[in-house]
Amino acid sequence: MPFDVVLGGILSPLFIASILRISTPIILPALGGLISDLAGVINIALEGIMLVSAFTGVIVSAYTGSVWIGVLAGIVVGMLYSLLLALFHLYLNTDIILAGIALNIMAQGGTIFLLFILTGDKGNTSSLASGAVPTITIPFIENIPWLGTILSGHNLFTYLAFLFTWLVSILLYKTPLGTHLRAVGENPVAAETVGINVRRTKTIAIALSGFFASLGGLSLSMAYLTLFQNAMTNGRGFIALAAVFLGGRTPWGTTIASIIFGFADALSNQLGSLAIPPQWVQMIPYVATVLALVIYSIRRQAKQRERLRRFQEGEVKSSGAAEAGTD
Amino acid sequence: MKKIFQSSGFRELLRVFIAVAVALALGFIVTMLVSEDPVGAYKSFLFGPVSKLNRFGDWIEESITLIFLGLAVVVVFKAELFSLGQEGQMVLGALVAGSIALFVPLPAYFLIPLAILGAMLAGFLWGLIPGYLKAYLNANEIVSTLMLNFIALKIYEWLLTNSIKPEDAGYTASDTFPVEGTMSSFIPPLPFLSEIRTLFMNQTNISIALYLMVIATIVVYYLMYHTPFGYELRMVGANIKFARYGGVNTKRTILLAMAVSGIFAGLAGAHVASGVHRKLILNITFGLGFEGIVVAILARNNPLLIPITGLAYGYLRAGANVMERTSDVSREMVLVIQGIIILLVTAERLMPMIQERIKVRRTQRNDIPPADTGVTPTEGGD
Repeated sequence: MPFDVVLGGILSPLFIASILRISTPIILPALGGLISDLAGVINIALEGIMLVSAFTGVIVSAYTGSVWIGVLAGIVVGMLYSLLLALFHLYLNTDIILAGIALNIMAQGGTIFLLFILTGDKGNTSSLASGAVPTITIPFIENIPWLGTILSGHNLFTYLAFLFTWLVSILLYKTPLGTHLRAVGENPVAAETVGINVRRTKTIAIALSGFFASLGGLSLSMAYLTLFQNAMTNGRGFIALAAVFLGGRTPWGTTIASIIFGFADALSNQLGSLAIPPQWVQMIPYVATVLALVIYSIRRQAKQRERLRRFQEGEVKSSGAAEAGTD
Repeated sequence: MKKIFQSSGFRELLRVFIAVAVALALGFIVTMLVSEDPVGAYKSFLFGPVSKLNRFGDWIEESITLIFLGLAVVVVFKAELFSLGQEGQMVLGALVAGSIALFVPLPAYFLIPLAILGAMLAGFLWGLIPGYLKAYLNANEIVSTLMLNFIALKIYEWLLTNSIKPEDAGYTASDTFPVEGTMSSFIPPLPFLSEIRTLFMNQTNISIALYLMVIATIVVYYLMYHTPFGYELRMVGANIKFARYGGVNTKRTILLAMAVSGIFAGLAGAHVASGVHRKLILNITFGLGFEGIVVAILARNNPLLIPITGLAYGYLRAGANVMERTSDVSREMVLVIQGIIILLVTAERLMPMIQERIKVRRTQRNDIPPADTGVTPTEGGD
């Protein structure tokens, strides 16, 4: 198959729109991962929280017949699940990684277990009529030829993902809570000394990351698909964590990194007809994350060395001055 | 006698025991709610793995994998490092062991050791990467090992679908390994054992990996407590700054800790490829990647306890499979039980909190402070 057909496919507005759609369930949990990571809590449980909320949303919407009650229930249950992480990590001194692993195992098992009880099927909820959040067409923009296809007609969560990226950057850099949050992550002891309640701040950070992971889970089961599937998050919670690092631990960086992951995913589907193995394309974001980690670490080390050098120079100067004084 | 009950080792053991008991009790309550025959279901869960020889085999085979993975985790945990990379190391170990078994024409007594060594080397090299990143760049090892897992899985998938899978195969799997490339039964081919050997070979895939597992456990113990490397590793884990002042090459120790850990995860891969499945299949790790961490925690990081916790944990998983097959309760319930066990065992403050409560209640009832909390006289009061 000729390369230019694929290139044409990649540049088509439909393909670009599909990238945004695929990226949404990564962007949202990644924002959650970012908030908790900046507060010094590495949230491995994003995956589990997503599963729990995706499941709750579908089940509640199927039984109540209301999409919005389903969404609300998904958010509430997902946040409660994340508070379990806060309880065990912050109040019972469980290691954060181990607590995260436990919550992931429980979410994976619990959702399938309940799925089987409720539907008699371990695969998915296709026997239930669950709701989908509406898609939104933007007036005027939808009529612009190329751009309209890309920007208009997405589901609610896709727009929320970008709206929240903006809101999270305001929260983190323009509000007292954001300052406290980053201070706690940077140096908890120093934060404690200036009167910040470290434990409460971290609890808020975990709850917020639970909120965003829940939205991510709901975007999978009530927008991207309209049913719950056994283990449907398929590692997106971990990919979201990687996006935080690839994005340099900033809100817009994280969102762009999530889109890169979405792009690789969409591209690997598109390349199915070329001789390039899809696994190579799928591998790119992970390799990129490792490289980003390397670059980030080298830069941090260089900075530290620079600081040390300045400190030592300052020391030499001041000791020189002291000697001059005694002479 | 009193000393034994107050020793920290005993309390650790008690905590694990209580955690498992509580989790199993909760599991039973859930079973009662969902099952028509809760007692039967729970019976098959608790006694299933020893009820038939093939189930016994499943239990032991899975436990061997878990024990290798647990040993891999102990090595990094001792250095106070974290690694989530066992899954990637295991899958590459399986890939190398499987490829050697499939494509290298050698007699069995060369081929099997070569496959095992190859798997160990694959794990070692894949562990070197996060080890180097951590030791020399101080890069977050959780993120790097997670990413390397995904990369390893993709490499495995790619090679399996493009090079290893026979062209005409309907599904993504390799050919079955030749007899020379599979690990032989754990019962030696001696005349007076031939009957029991055939019986085990027909019903189970328990192979010489069992002995490898025992050797690996002893090796890890010896490495940790009787070699300079183990000493340095534990020093790095106890206090890295102190270790550095004491002349330990901390960077090299961290690098090697991650890589040596990979050796054991690679062995797990060799076991599932050449011992259990005897061919390469998609999803060969069956999501066992993180379970080694659980086995290591339950053993409280003691290498000699790893076989016990590995067998116990494997028993839960094997029991769950039997329960699913013989009752109306799905095996995923056991995942919830596993999660509860991990949380209860690792919640450092849970037991002291409960003890405190009991103490407070007792003092309230008796209205006199217990003798134990006797005020210690302050020394040199000036």
